[in-house]
Amino acid sequence: MPESAELAGEDLLLDGIRAGDQMIFARWVSLAEARLRDSLRPFAARVDVEAVLQESLVRVWQVTPRFVPDGRPDSLLRLAIRVARNLAISELRRNRMDLVDPEFLERALADAEKLWSGPDHGSDPILRQAIEECRRTLPRKPADAIQARIDSGGTEPDAVLADRLGMRRNTFLQNITRARRLLAACLRRRGIDVASELA
Amino acid sequence: MTERERQALVEEAAGAWRPGGADQVRPHPAWADLEPAGRLEVYEITRVLRQLEAALDPQGLSTTARAVLSRIAG
Repeated sequence: MPESAELAGEDLLLDGIRAGDQMIFARWVSLAEARLRDSLRPFAARVDVEAVLQESLVRVWQVTPRFVPDGRPDSLLRLAIRVARNLAISELRRNRMDLVDPEFLERALADAEKLWSGPDHGSDPILRQAIEECRRTLPRKPADAIQARIDSGGTEPDAVLADRLGMRRNTFLQNITRARRLLAACLRRRGIDVASELA
Repeated sequence: MTERERQALVEEAAGAWRPGGADQVRPHPAWADLEPAGRLEVYEITRVLRQLEAALDPQGLSTTARAVLSRIAG
């Protein structure tokens, strides 16, 4: 898979997305997700970034048939960042967070602008291979827990996944924690520093 | 709240499932119960967890991407 939406030729992906091809949209999401999430980091203590990110992507899918690129690189990603930022600000206002710090929004918006061209680590084939090899070393229960989340694709709450595995909810969550810490240790032994956030 | 309970909330909020159904995606109840430092922890864990999930997914998609695709597919 290409390293970034720009390398992949976002215009080509745009044609497919406009035509309603969900698999092409999925490909674009896989390229854009990390940078879009990074753009929301300034809001992370105040809004649920995961919820804002998912809602933003749904809205991008809905508006893309009417979207006209501006000719500059990553035009759809820039649209997505604008949609996400506006949603995050709406959440702040809904929660009356706009009363907390009048300078916060300006700082957040400036930070989001700076992060537009951030790197996309998600498609690094060496990293992917290392993660897969580390996964094979996990004990059964942590491996089952993290695999259940992957298989469910974010469509079911953890309580349902835990029940399916015959675990209590807290045991399931402890196994997720254990899985990511073991993966972190394994990746660290391979000199991969992405693991520090997982430990 | 004990540290163990707090850690469970962080771990749960770092998953991709969110309430909402056909309506707008809403914050995770576990996220709502966390203090700002816990929410930042959720963010930092999530950004790496999604890379791991995408690496382990046959099509290279994170659970965030799959949740979105499920929503647009109705």
